[in-house]
Amino acid sequence: MKKFFKIFKIILTIVFTCYSIVIIYFIALSPKDKRFKFAEHYQGIYLSQTMFDILIWQYPTYSDAYFEKSVIFNKTGAYEKGSLLLDKAVEIDPKAHLGYRGWLVLRKLRSYDNALQDFDRLDSLTPTVADAPWGEGIDFLRGECYFGKKNYQKAIEMFNRNIQNQKEDWVDIQSFVYLGLCEYELGNFEKAISEFRRALNQYEHTPESYFGIARAYQKLGEIEKAKEYILKAEENISFKRDDVYNEYLNEIYLSEVLEFKQSLSE
Amino acid sequence: MSPYTIHAKFITIKPNIKLKNKLNLILFISFFLAASLTIWVYYQTTNRTGKIEFNKDIDDPEFVVCDEDRILQYYSVKTSYPGGKREIKKQFSKLISNLTFKDSGLITFRFVVNCNGDVGRFRVKMVNFQLKKNHFEDQKIKQIQKEIQKLKKWNPGKWRSESFDSYYVLNFKIENSKITDIF
Repeated sequence: MKKFFKIFKIILTIVFTCYSIVIIYFIALSPKDKRFKFAEHYQGIYLSQTMFDILIWQYPTYSDAYFEKSVIFNKTGAYEKGSLLLDKAVEIDPKAHLGYRGWLVLRKLRSYDNALQDFDRLDSLTPTVADAPWGEGIDFLRGECYFGKKNYQKAIEMFNRNIQNQKEDWVDIQSFVYLGLCEYELGNFEKAISEFRRALNQYEHTPESYFGIARAYQKLGEIEKAKEYILKAEENISFKRDDVYNEYLNEIYLSEVLEFKQSLSE
Repeated sequence: MSPYTIHAKFITIKPNIKLKNKLNLILFISFFLAASLTIWVYYQTTNRTGKIEFNKDIDDPEFVVCDEDRILQYYSVKTSYPGGKREIKKQFSKLISNLTFKDSGLITFRFVVNCNGDVGRFRVKMVNFQLKKNHFEDQKIKQIQKEIQKLKKWNPGKWRSESFDSYYVLNFKIENSKITDIF
């Protein structure tokens, strides 16, 4: 019986020890890419942040770990904490992280000058590369920055450059929408209509373009045409540009389409 | 029993006691380590960054969440205000024109939209445009919070037609002493 207990105790000791070793190995000693992927996948839970902390401690120049750890802070509005980490990632590897920081500052914080600084710096570091921070053309994003700053001439320059670089048939149609909006703001209503039409030539379900054309026709005094296009905007509103994280600068709403439609009938 | 026999017994029994004690000690240490790690991993996997817990000193006790253990992020379950950010800006138009500030930066409100579309548990963070900690007057912050509380009947976060509690983030951009944007 004594022998049995002794063997039982030894087995338990081995099981407990192996269990602990597996956990410690998984969290602190397994290949860093595997740990990074796990922590990235489970973004937001404490374990994920702890694993990034361990990675940063073990590899102080692992810029992706700083960057990825910052994401949940920025998503939850803790921008001070997020920026400290993201700034460190940029400091270590500016080419890899400047674009994301610019994109974040533009889309999440609407801090246009800071975003432009990052995009310009990234561009200067990669003169031969057409940068695409977070998958969007750098000139498109710069155009959005200038649009946000209400510098419409400069925004037009950037959106046109984006179209030239990415070619008319391949470019994000929102470049044309923004061009239309800029021309509208500058009072060039006919030019605005032609720019909005360029978006419709690529994709007929672009409510931003229909709405823009309706507003331009109203300014030109062509109310019947305005009515025709506002109906199309209403019909296509379900195709509008939106994002679950943030409101876009050129986002339109059904309520404003209906309000405009109402104003045309008065 | 000769003195030699007694001596021999000591020799044979003593190591057994030592071995038994050692085994118990190692078993205890391995169990303690495994148990501690399990508790730690449980804590690490059941808590999330940005969790807002009820604080009786600042939170309205009448505001209740439907599931304390499952408050999701707005972007996971598409929490929204009817009419979107445009409608929120409209509701804030009076405050936007009346409220003035001494400093510039961002005021970020994070709060819970419960599964019934009510809001509560407000937390606020303030930064300047360099994203360093900033401070705006408490009274102004309270005014903004009161205005957010007036926004009724939110669209709670949904997943497969089930409503969930969720966190929402609302930023107020302060430039040239005024609120210039809400997003």
